[in-house]
Amino acid sequence: MTHMVEVKDLKKRYGDKQAVDGISFTVKKGEIFGILGPNGAGKTTTLEMMETLRPIDGGSVKIDGIDVKKNPQGIKYIIGVQPQTPAFQDKTRLTEVIEMFAAAYGEKVDAMKFLRDVDLEEKAKSFVEDLSGGQKQRLSITTALVHGPKVFFLDEPTTGLDPQARRHLWELIEKVREKGISVIMTTHYMDEAEILCDRIAIMDNGKIVAIDTPRNLIDQLLKRGFKKKQEVQQASLEDVFIDLTGKAIREGA
Amino acid sequence: MTTNWKRSWFTVLTFVRINTKRFFRDKTAIFFTIGFPLIFLFVFGSLNGSNSSVSFNVALINNSDSSFAKDFAKSLKESDTLKVNQEVTTLDEAKEKMSRSELDATIILPETFGDTQQGDAYPSGEAKVVYTQNNTQSGTALSSILQSQFAQINQKLAPSVSPFTVTGEELNENSLSAFDYTFAGLLGFAIIGMGIFGPINVFPELKKMGILRRLSTTPLRVWQYFVSTMIGQAVIGVLAITIMFIVAITVFHLQVVGNWFELALFIILSIMMILGIGLALGGWAKNERQVAPLANIVVFPMMFLSGTFFPRFLMPEWLQNITAFLPLTPVIDGIRLITTEGAHFINILPQIGLVAAWMVVIYIIAFKVFRWE
Repeated sequence: MTHMVEVKDLKKRYGDKQAVDGISFTVKKGEIFGILGPNGAGKTTTLEMMETLRPIDGGSVKIDGIDVKKNPQGIKYIIGVQPQTPAFQDKTRLTEVIEMFAAAYGEKVDAMKFLRDVDLEEKAKSFVEDLSGGQKQRLSITTALVHGPKVFFLDEPTTGLDPQARRHLWELIEKVREKGISVIMTTHYMDEAEILCDRIAIMDNGKIVAIDTPRNLIDQLLKRGFKKKQEVQQASLEDVFIDLTGKAIREGA
Repeated sequence: MTTNWKRSWFTVLTFVRINTKRFFRDKTAIFFTIGFPLIFLFVFGSLNGSNSSVSFNVALINNSDSSFAKDFAKSLKESDTLKVNQEVTTLDEAKEKMSRSELDATIILPETFGDTQQGDAYPSGEAKVVYTQNNTQSGTALSSILQSQFAQINQKLAPSVSPFTVTGEELNENSLSAFDYTFAGLLGFAIIGMGIFGPINVFPELKKMGILRRLSTTPLRVWQYFVSTMIGQAVIGVLAITIMFIVAITVFHLQVVGNWFELALFIILSIMMILGIGLALGGWAKNERQVAPLANIVVFPMMFLSGTFFPRFLMPEWLQNITAFLPLTPVIDGIRLITTEGAHFINILPQIGLVAAWMVVIYIIAFKVFRWE
């Protein structure tokens, strides 16, 4: 099986800081690939180079066989981008947001269908400024998919969301993958990466320090003789929270 | 190729449609594009429109109690040309007011004014016009006005033959009123308001929120974004300017003699050209702080030197020669020539040419300096 995304020896330098220092990885079709790492590790810069937002200093990115550096305009038709903090022009109805993004690709779509995909059909006639943080995230996801992209990028999608909204977003990301779209996301939440990602790359100081499935990475650590001090709890505080407050997504979330 | 072209325009027109709808939902934007210029129109319209005839503010000090002096004083007070200040009765008061330019001059009728001298059959006297050094012009003008009034009276009292006379005749043609100049200038002001202040306020905000950045991950081209803004702005601009014309015609009796179609086309061209300045400034600036000083440098010279608030012919000639080439000058001149002088495109080719030349220059710069974030 060929790779949907191929990153080879990718480099980016800001002044005297090597933000991305020769990283390579591949992503298969329909795979959820997570990039983890502390702040300043180079996660966002890596995404931005792949999304054509930052010039590539060295190395190459190929998506579905198209070279990002040589044909950025071609790449734009096959990627969808979810920014860290989605924002929309105010006084715009949700349906209009969808229509505008579709129009940016020269396409005319049924806006309601895309709103239904993310459970926002009741808000169709609302203005974007009346949406909550979680609703904006969902709208942003569906706008990134209007043109049927092959690769979907998400930059820290669940930061600042309540547990219910997070879980809801995870389900949405799973649904995106089911359509055969490759998902590349960054996150700070380990539980999120463990539940959602098929494979993860851990970055530090512009380099990839480990890349594998979450299960394998944990096994490798255990093989090295790692032991947690505490006994593993059978439930976490979040489990308690969800048990008490339910999984249902909240009004305005 | 043709389907690509169609899709490109579908993109542009969808952006125009939705952004125009957004404009009409935004009360602040409506106020600044339509309401604000209208307020200026009412202020400047009532300043100019009321009375364009010359008048002098004078004090009258009548020291004589002859009946001729009383009649003469009364006739002065009823005159259109003179506004006689009723409160001032002494020369000292008058001098104080003249020193503050509240009065242009003072007319003094001496004690003997209007008395009939021994041996004469008619009254006589000498009126005195007093004025300060700064007001020499009004002083001499006033003297000659009084002179001619006396000449009429003299003729009645002591008829004699006058071989040479002058009569004035009012031509049946309109010349440009002050309001005609003001109105074209106000339109220029409105065009600057929507073309420049619009984008320089909106773009930095869109960049700060990452909205333009998000758009830049789509295949949307800069030209599509620019053209959709141009069309949208032209639609809104024509509407705003139509409202200004309606008010100017109904309230301030503006007479439009030119061709409406040519006027509309010229205004659309002008809006698009001036909008380019806003797109260049707003498209270049990363944030509000960057754009404000630059916008002031660009806007203020045009605001004051292009004939927005006072006509350019009042400037010294060398300054007129320079300001003739400011982008807004041909806009204001062109609008005025079409509106009030009935000029056709063929008559205002210099103005059209200058607007078109600026358009090319401005949009080349705007495309070069545009940044999505």
